[in-house]
Amino acid sequence: MSQIKAGALEKNMFILEKDIPYLVVDREFVNPGKGSSFVRMKLKNQRSGAALKITHKSQDNIEEIDVEEQNCQYLYTDGENFVFMNNETYDQFEVATTALEDEKWFLIEGETYKIVRWDEETLGLKLPPKMDLVVTEAEDGIKGDTVQGASKYVKVGTGLTVKVPIFIKQGETIRINTDTKEYQERINK
Amino acid sequence: MTIENIKKRNKITKTVKEFFDSKNYLELETPILSPTLIPESSLEIFSTTNTHPYKKNRTSYLVPSPEIWLKKFLSENPVNIYEISKCFRNSEQYGKQHNPEFTMLEYYTMNYNYLDTLKLTKQLIDYINKELTWSKLPKKSLVMSMENAFIAYAGFSLKDNYTIKLLHKRATELNIHTSDNDNWETAFNRIFIDIVEPNLPKNVNLFLTDFPSKIPTLAKEITDTPWAQRWELYINGIECGNCYTEEVDSKIVNEYFHKEANARLNSITQHEIDPNYHTIFANFPNCSGGAIGIDRLIMGILGIENIQGVILFPSHDNI
Repeated sequence: MSQIKAGALEKNMFILEKDIPYLVVDREFVNPGKGSSFVRMKLKNQRSGAALKITHKSQDNIEEIDVEEQNCQYLYTDGENFVFMNNETYDQFEVATTALEDEKWFLIEGETYKIVRWDEETLGLKLPPKMDLVVTEAEDGIKGDTVQGASKYVKVGTGLTVKVPIFIKQGETIRINTDTKEYQERINK
Repeated sequence: MTIENIKKRNKITKTVKEFFDSKNYLELETPILSPTLIPESSLEIFSTTNTHPYKKNRTSYLVPSPEIWLKKFLSENPVNIYEISKCFRNSEQYGKQHNPEFTMLEYYTMNYNYLDTLKLTKQLIDYINKELTWSKLPKKSLVMSMENAFIAYAGFSLKDNYTIKLLHKRATELNIHTSDNDNWETAFNRIFIDIVEPNLPKNVNLFLTDFPSKIPTLAKEITDTPWAQRWELYINGIECGNCYTEEVDSKIVNEYFHKEANARLNSITQHEIDPNYHTIFANFPNCSGGAIGIDRLIMGILGIENIQGVILFPSHDNI
């Protein structure tokens, strides 16, 4: 644990606020014109997923959590938890499915992910900016107004529904932006 | 910034100038480099060096606002004036509303008070909306006192909770972080920034008036009240400008300078202060001054939420 000034906070840092670990989602510098400056923060409770808006003086001390990134393989889910294995120690651990609401659409069995750990607690999972996923459900292309860039919805292996151009077929691999969950391009594999 | 928005920005600046020119305000162009600054404890400044090949170097400062020159000018020439100039504020690390170098409009009207300047500023907004058909500035303006804003959004009267002890108590009830080291102004700002400002009405040009006089400024007090003759303008919830009825009592001004100079000793960069600056107030006209951040005004007119979208080559990309 280390102390940091609120004014030095950056997005994606992990901090402790009233003993609960939070992810810094966004921070906005506010200077009321007279007097000292403030930082308005948007935080995400890493245990409940709840959002928290809080304001600190730029000079206030904040507890930054010294997190560790570990390469871990995703093994399986039992419905309530995702089970991972640390690639170095072979330790297995569970992460509640509710803690990875956004990331779950990109979990592929056997793939390695960067897991952010604080002691025994998992604070998050860092996805690569783009991931390649196989289309498992797609209707055949419907002939339509292709000038407008006609599109349709397909499902990929993880269950995520993605809007894609009409030429994408079942069994093909597509690249998806993990942040926006949007289609990027077709991968010829 | 797109070419189209550059053209629009030019047109906006022209329109603002037209407004003041049509009312016979004298446009000034004052120096950006100054050998001294007015002490303001809330501002970090930029310092630079005037070198001389044979003599001693001299330190100069980039002005955080043209106020130092405009007031000097007014003490010798009591006429209505305005200036649109580059200003510099250091240590404003990031955010969608900050750039360390920005453009400010400052305007002074003789024998006006802050409410007269409020009307003038409303006229300016109406003029912009009339002249620039593509302006996205709200059509509606609203005036709200700080006291009413606290009652509406923090749920208590500021006037009835005017001590730091009571303010801290109210903050704790509202689950707002406080510290034992807070002075009155910090306690006030914590509540204002946390709960009042984010809830101010959007989609209007809001004039938030009558700030607590406990916040030290060069605005005149409203006699027999805890308020100062001061307003701030919020366009779509973003603070865009402020205005005072200017304090003209040279004794009060001098005391303010001394206090601010002392408070400034904690700042990162120190600066020279003209020890005789307060003497200009011995013969200072009754007037009211307003200042509007032109970049933020342009954000409002163009409907752009990030200051980087209205500035060519903005300083930060890390937001």
